[in-house]
Amino acid sequence: MFFLTYLRRELRRRMRQAIFIALGLAIGIGLVITVMGASSGVKAAQAKVLRALYGIGTDVTVTTKPKPPSGRPTTGQQNVGGPGGGAGAGVCINGKCYSSGTIDTLLSADHGALSAATAAEIARLHGVSAAAGGLVLTDNRIVLPSGSNSQLQPPTSVSVDGTDISHPKLGPLSDGKLTSGRTFAAADANADVAVVDANYATANKLTVGSTVTVAKTKFKIIGIATQPEASSPPAVYIPLARAQALATNPATGKSMKNMVNTVYVTAASAADIGAVQREIEHLLPQATVTSSSDLASEITGSAASAAKLAGALGKWLAVLVLIAAFAVASLLTMAAVARRVPEFGTLKALGWRSSRIVSQVLGESVSTGIIGGLAGVGLGFAGVAIIDKIAPKLSATVPSAGGSGGLQTQIAGGGAGPVGSGPSAAASHATIAVPMSASVTAGAIVLAVLLAIAGGLLAGSFGGWRAARLRPAAALARVA
Amino acid sequence: MDIDHHETPIYRLTGVSKIYRKGGREIPAVRGLDLEIRAGEWLAVQGKTGHGKTTLLQLLGGLDRPTQGRVEFGGDDLAAASEAQVRKVRAQSFGFIFQTFNLVPTLSAQENVEAALIPLGVHLAQRRARVAAALDSVGLGDRAQHLPGELSGGQQQRVAIARALVKAPRVLLADEPTGNLDEDTRDEIISLLDTLWRERGLTLVLSATTVRWCGGLSASG
Repeated sequence: MFFLTYLRRELRRRMRQAIFIALGLAIGIGLVITVMGASSGVKAAQAKVLRALYGIGTDVTVTTKPKPPSGRPTTGQQNVGGPGGGAGAGVCINGKCYSSGTIDTLLSADHGALSAATAAEIARLHGVSAAAGGLVLTDNRIVLPSGSNSQLQPPTSVSVDGTDISHPKLGPLSDGKLTSGRTFAAADANADVAVVDANYATANKLTVGSTVTVAKTKFKIIGIATQPEASSPPAVYIPLARAQALATNPATGKSMKNMVNTVYVTAASAADIGAVQREIEHLLPQATVTSSSDLASEITGSAASAAKLAGALGKWLAVLVLIAAFAVASLLTMAAVARRVPEFGTLKALGWRSSRIVSQVLGESVSTGIIGGLAGVGLGFAGVAIIDKIAPKLSATVPSAGGSGGLQTQIAGGGAGPVGSGPSAAASHATIAVPMSASVTAGAIVLAVLLAIAGGLLAGSFGGWRAARLRPAAALARVA
Repeated sequence: MDIDHHETPIYRLTGVSKIYRKGGREIPAVRGLDLEIRAGEWLAVQGKTGHGKTTLLQLLGGLDRPTQGRVEFGGDDLAAASEAQVRKVRAQSFGFIFQTFNLVPTLSAQENVEAALIPLGVHLAQRRARVAAALDSVGLGDRAQHLPGELSGGQQQRVAIARALVKAPRVLLADEPTGNLDEDTRDEIISLLDTLWRERGLTLVLSATTVRWCGGLSASG
C-alpha cells in the first residue's frame, strides 16, 4: 500500500519525464508491432498467392518441360480462294492450316506431358498423403476472315484447368468457393460440364446453365467459383477426362488422352515435404519438382520487395528505435535517482533496506514501461490501420499456373508470301496484384508487453543499482 | 533529571577518528575522540561549520564508520558490525532530525512519519495509530494530509520530529535542528524537544553552531 502510494506520487511529481520515457518506449514498441503487422500481412498475401496458385493442400507440384512441336508450320503460301476472289489468307497452327471458320484449340503449351499413371506412382511414395494429376491448358480461338469481314481478328485465349474430380482437395479448384451452382460430382467425370471463375463469368455474362465453348465443344456451366483475391485462377474448369480428350499435345500433335501435365502432391506432414520432394526427383529425374517454399523464393515483384523491406530494414529500424528508447529511459531514470539521493539517504537513515529502495525505483520504471507498452500497442494498431489505408497495391510475379498458349501461328497472306509470327514468348510468369492487409497479431501484443516490462526493468535496474550503492552519510551530505 | 554516573553508558566512543580523503589530501573531521553518553542525557555539540559536528552525529547514528576507534552502542561496536546489523539498530533505536528536515516531498506528513515504521514491519492499522499519536504529540494532528510544500518550516521540522519519535527510539540525534528556522520557531522546536526528552527519557544528542538556545533545555544534559 505504502509502496503504491509512494510510486504513484513520485510518477506524478515527475510526470513530464515519465510521459517522455513512456512515449519513447511507445514509439519503439509501436514500430515493432507495425513492422510485425506489415510483415505478417505481406507474408499472408504471398501465402494467398501461393495457395491460389496450386490450391490449398498442395505441398509439391510436379511438371516437366515442354518438348518442341514435332510438326513445322507450313511455309509458303496457302492460297485459298476467299470471298471476293483472289488469293485469301490462311492460318497454320502447329502444323495444321486453316483457311476459314473458327479455330479453337486446347493446348498444353507451358508444361510437358506426363503419363496419368505418374500421379498413382507418386501417391505410393513414402510420406505422400495424396497425389492427383491435372491439365493446365489454354483454349485459343481465332476467327478467320470471311465474307465481309476480311480482317483477321486477334486471337483470344482462355485458361482452362482439367480437374481430377476424384481429388477435390488438390489442384487450383480446391481453394475456390462456390458462389452459385454446384461443383463436380463423380458422375461428371466424362460429362461436358464446367465450373467457371466468378470474374470470368461476370466479364462474359455467364450464369449457371449458360454454356462455354472449349475446343469447339459446348460445356454447360454447373457452378461458378470465386478464388481468393491475388490469385490468377483458371477461367474454366472441366473434368480431366474431357480435357484429356480435347487437348492437343503440341509435341506430338495428338490428343492428351491418359496424360497430365501437372501432378499435385500432398505430403503426410510439413516435416515430410523435403523428403517427398527428393523421392519424386529420384522417381522422375526429368521432372521439375517444386515445393511451396521453392515457389515462394521465385516470387518477385513489389510484394517480395515489401516482404524483404519489412523483414530486414523494418526489423532493424524497429530494433534501433527500441534500443534508443531503452537508453533514454535508462539515462533519465538514473538522472532522476541522482536527484533523489538525499531522499534515499534519508530513507536509509530511517533503516530502509537497499532492496526496498531499489524495488521502489524498479516499480516506478516498470510502471512507466507498462504505460509505454500500452500506448505502444495503441500506436501499433494505428500504424497497422494506416498501412491498410494507404499501402499501395503490391504485385507478385509468380510462375504461371496457366500458360499463355505458346501459340505458333503463321499467316499466309494472299499474294504476299507468308507472314509468320513465331511462337509467342513462353510467358511462364504472371504478375498478380496482391492486396496487403496488415494486422496486429496476438504474438505482437505479447511481445509488446514483454518489451515494455523489459524496458522498465532495464531503466530501473541502472537507477536502482545507483540507489543501492548510496552510503547514507554521503547521500545526506548532499542535502543543500 | 539526575544521572547515575555509575550506570553503563549508552554510548562509549574510544579513540574515534574520521578522516576524509579528497584528491590525495587528508581532512580529519574527528580526531582521537573518547566520549561516554549515558542513557537519558542530552548532549549539545557546539562548533563552527565544518568542524565535525555532523560527522560525529553520523558516527553515533551508524550512518558512517570511523576510520579508527570504536563506537559502542549498548555494548555493541557499530564500527565493526555488518551493514545489516547497523541498519537494524538504526531502524529500531535511532531517531534522526536534520537541519533541512529531509522530508520526502511527495509524501504527506502522515506518510513521511509512516516511512519510519516501514522497516520495522508494523502492520497498517497499528502504523496508522502510532503515526496519528506521533503527529498529535507535536501538535500537527490536523495537518496529517498536508504535503511538506504546504507546511511552514517549523511545521516541517515538527513532522520530522514526529518521524524520529514514532518508532520509540532510544536515542534522538538532531543535527542543527533549528538551523533553518527563525528565532521564534527555533524556540518552539527547542521547547518541544525538551518536553519530549523529559517525557520519554530519551537520550538526546544535538549539534549546533551556537548553544545559546540550549538554555531552553532542562538541566542534567
